[in-house]
Amino acid sequence: MPGPASKRRIPVSQPGMADPHQLFDDTSSAQSRGYGAQRAPGDLSYPAASATPQAAFLADPVSNMAMAYGSSLAAQGKELVDKNIDRFIPVTKLKYYFAVDTMYVGRKLGLLFFPYLHQDWEVQYQQDTPVAPRFDVNAPDLYIPAMAFITYVLVAGLALGTQDRFSPDLLGLQASSALAWLTLEVLAILLSLYLVTVNTDLTTIDLVAFLGYKYVGMIGGVLMGLLFGKIGYYLVLGWCCVSIFVFMIRTLRLKILAEAAAEGVPVREARNQLRMYLTMAVAAAQPLLMYWLTFHLVR
Amino acid sequence: LGIHFDHIWQKTLTVLNPMKPADGSIMNETDLTGPILFCVALGATLLLAGKVQFGYVYGLSAIGCLVIHALLNLMSSSGVSYGCVASVLGYCLLPMVILSGCAMFFSLQGTFGIVSSLVIIGWCSLSASKIFISALDMEGQQLLVAYPCALLYGLFALLTIF
Repeated sequence: MPGPASKRRIPVSQPGMADPHQLFDDTSSAQSRGYGAQRAPGDLSYPAASATPQAAFLADPVSNMAMAYGSSLAAQGKELVDKNIDRFIPVTKLKYYFAVDTMYVGRKLGLLFFPYLHQDWEVQYQQDTPVAPRFDVNAPDLYIPAMAFITYVLVAGLALGTQDRFSPDLLGLQASSALAWLTLEVLAILLSLYLVTVNTDLTTIDLVAFLGYKYVGMIGGVLMGLLFGKIGYYLVLGWCCVSIFVFMIRTLRLKILAEAAAEGVPVREARNQLRMYLTMAVAAAQPLLMYWLTFHLVR
Repeated sequence: LGIHFDHIWQKTLTVLNPMKPADGSIMNETDLTGPILFCVALGATLLLAGKVQFGYVYGLSAIGCLVIHALLNLMSSSGVSYGCVASVLGYCLLPMVILSGCAMFFSLQGTFGIVSSLVIIGWCSLSASKIFISALDMEGQQLLVAYPCALLYGLFALLTIF
């Protein structure tokens, strides 16, 4: 007969059981006496006891096992989520774009509104990797575009609210339409860069960062429009459009046309001109989009 | 129950005094008792002022916590857990409860209301950013952390005013 200690939960055959082919343990109270009788003789880990604490001990190891299983499942799930998020969103690369501090943000905002006096637009490199935005005001970052986008959606809600056209779904509509325009812009520029076969080190995230800078000007325009009416809106928007145009030209020129200047002698005229046109087109699209996305907010 | 009243009181005092620098160890254990209490208090005061907006309060706090959790994880060198973010944001909701308590007695849509809500928003976001900075050891970024918190509390203030 098999030893009782090894078959605690599923005793297959034992004296007193009605069916020798029973595959599972019948833990109804009528059987617990037989179970207790089997356990009592040679069991060291469980105290030899009567039937009722036996039923309680039955519940305990099962619930312990269930808890252990549940917590390991939760840990596995969290690991799975982390791994998959790492696959879709490159977190370490994004961290580079958020390594900013207050001085950088202040200087960059000043640069966005007044880029005319800034001389050196090159990003400094440190052993082949660009320096973090904290240390170089020319490096692109994602904090300003992200905050500017969220602020733009909120200011749009505020503007609609003052015109009594506010409702939460309209806010959601505004947010998703702005996001859609941004995605369209990024895709269009990526497509044209691909068609022109430019080898740049302009990554997609860089591009999103540069295209997100126009939201700062849009916020300024809408706020001025709320405070001072249409005149203030047009003035500030005009100023911001020109600034963003100059900013984009100066920044993209270094990125897209960089190797044309670095190639030196064999500079092919047509290729260079095409890149120049591409830069001008991207920079000119910014003011247009700035106007398109804000004019309906200021009446 | 695991609810330490003196911890809750200590954290509340840290929130109520935004000028005093906080020490980083107060956020070592994340407790959600205080924040949930403050959320319910905010909903209750809003209800007493005549606006039944529980859904908006909870939805807004959940989304705001998610966004700020993502942002802080990206900005700080050490990560931060969701519970810690929710706890800090909930504690710093206390001045907003005071504001909505005032809204019960007089309407906030005049100049005084706008000015006081701006002050309260600044107060909330300064304390929240102060606690985050000291707990996560980020230098030179207090205003950067305070800005999204100010946006979040601004939305709460909008709920309170309108």
